Amino acid sequence: MPKEILEMPIETATMELPDTKTIRLKWPDGHNPDFKTGQFITVYWPDTPAYKRAYSLSSCALDRGFYEVTVKRDGKMGTRIVDWAKAGDKLFVIPPVGKFLPVYEPDKHLVCIAGGSGVTPFRGFAREATRRKLETKITVLYSIRTPADIIFHNEFRELEKENPNFKFHVTCTRALPEHNWTGRAARITSDWVKEIATDLPNTVFYACGPNALVEFAEHLVIHELGVAKEQMKTEKWG
Amino acid sequence: MSNILSDLKYAKSHEWVRVSGDIATLGITDHAQAELTDIVFVELPAVGRQVKAGEACAVVESVKTASDIYSPVSGEIVALNQPVTDNPALVNTEPYAGGWFFKIKLSHPAELNALLSPEDYKKQIGG
Repeated sequence: MPKEILEMPIETATMELPDTKTIRLKWPDGHNPDFKTGQFITVYWPDTPAYKRAYSLSSCALDRGFYEVTVKRDGKMGTRIVDWAKAGDKLFVIPPVGKFLPVYEPDKHLVCIAGGSGVTPFRGFAREATRRKLETKITVLYSIRTPADIIFHNEFRELEKENPNFKFHVTCTRALPEHNWTGRAARITSDWVKEIATDLPNTVFYACGPNALVEFAEHLVIHELGVAKEQMKTEKWG
Repeated sequence: MSNILSDLKYAKSHEWVRVSGDIATLGITDHAQAELTDIVFVELPAVGRQVKAGEACAVVESVKTASDIYSPVSGEIVALNQPVTDNPALVNTEPYAGGWFFKIKLSHPAELNALLSPEDYKKQIGG
């Protein structure tokens, strides 16, 4: 049976960065959907029903009463949401689907490679694992141009403090001296991934972001590390 | 397996070019539309605009992303495919036919020699 498309008001709209906004879409009263962390919703404005965009949930399945998506100013939808969307506006929402799902098994290590706003589903991964106090290890390797581009920096650092099994690593590819960045400043390399993923048979790799990054990650994991395809899940943006 | 037509030339950035005299018709490849997934918006350049090879001159948005479309050749835009702006899904269903974007009058036909053959494009996309 097809899932029901529902109109949902924006409850809150929060600027994460100058070009990135999180909108919280409030479920109608009595709505209690079954969905999974890591899935995506598709949204459209009531006045342009043919123009739809899909966004990974940045909230997790334990967050009830709303969906959150975190949107970069990109294309007409991204521009409209970032520049204009405000609390009270309404969007139609096609319910969550997708197979980019965290494997929450106690002996697993989820190595999550992200570029740009591709980090947003991993906020959901880490949130759910932390709240459930899971033993699953989760490590995010986040490639970003400058420290100013890090999305959810404070929340990821808080989750690290709260959850000993969660680690958030950032590498900046174009940090400038004025950024005072003292962390890693290079692209993601196989050596770095090998340092992190020390138990390959029990590692599940995830990659989310621009096609070039995801394809690079696929090549690195499958061809350079020799990991089976079944141990890698990807979410490309096209 | 993506469809690659033997009578076209291709750009590394996944546009195709069909040449007839001094007029080239452009669109995006079957591989590109498959990677983009459902196309929901197409914005084309104005007729009369002069474009240079490599210049971004159109925009395609799918449910997943917005992408610039680059003209692989230089010249003047002489015709647009209006139906594809009204029905962007044509890019998915007929990338080499009803999903074409625009026609351009070539100002530097020699640029065509720098484009990829079907065989080279197939290698690029790992086909």
